[in-house]
Amino acid sequence: MILMVGGAGQGMFPCAQALFGFRPEDAAPGGPVWDNFHLAVRECLRRGEDTAALVEQAAQKELILCQEVGCGIVPVEREERLWREEVGRACQLLARQAETVVRVSCGLPQVLKGELP
Amino acid sequence: MKILLYGGSACGKSALAEALLLKSPGEPRIYAATMEPWGPEAQERIRRHRAMRAEKGFQTVEAQRGLESLALPQGCAVLLECLGNLAANELFAPGATGESALQAMLAGVRSLARRAETLVMVGNDVFADGVPYQGGTAAYLRLLAEAQARLAAEADAVAEVVCGIPILHKGSLALP
Repeated sequence: MILMVGGAGQGMFPCAQALFGFRPEDAAPGGPVWDNFHLAVRECLRRGEDTAALVEQAAQKELILCQEVGCGIVPVEREERLWREEVGRACQLLARQAETVVRVSCGLPQVLKGELP
Repeated sequence: MKILLYGGSACGKSALAEALLLKSPGEPRIYAATMEPWGPEAQERIRRHRAMRAEKGFQTVEAQRGLESLALPQGCAVLLECLGNLAANELFAPGATGESALQAMLAGVRSLARRAETLVMVGNDVFADGVPYQGGTAAYLRLLAEAQARLAAEADAVAEVVCGIPILHKGSLALP
């Protein structure tokens, strides 16, 4: 499994296409790619569910794309704070299981774990 | 050896800081805790971090502000967590200004560094949400950014933590 993280608009999907050959249709339901994992965490928390099952489910995919959302002033709203922390913790868990972890900034990939093909 | 680790919310910086300190020279191992234990969420966070340190032989020392007056034993290993809380505690103390808070932070950390064989500082990345803050929050961001930049300049190693993985920006995390 490959985990790709990066801030908003940093070009994660184009990187995933260029580095690993994934296509946009791979992110369709049932496909090998889970895009916008940070939004799935938010939805999971909104439903009042545990994120552990979500992480387990995501770990079955070939590629997970997750926006980094924890690098701002800590929000006043409790739900916003919890969401940021849960995204961070989920990414730590996924990174531990991943063969490859890539962070994308300014469209440039930086390999944090493993090797590019 | 002075190390600064920083990163966003729940990026794994605390766990990495502890792991580093456990491998570092210096006794006793001291956890300098900056968080004001107010409110259930702070208490939950403190509980979680205490559990992470359980049985690792850390002594916890309250370090909410005025770190210059902390009398730590010479040759200890210190984990200071975190600069974001320390900045808020110094800045929002009665009568403080941005400049006095900065001086208090720098003097406090330098005083720890003089006594500690190893000092691991946990910093925060709170600068990238694109929101134009005013007033106290803007002053807080200026203070934390300035303090972290100065402390990074004085540190032997600086790493950003992402998904629990360090991205080295200065020096090396290879310990002696």
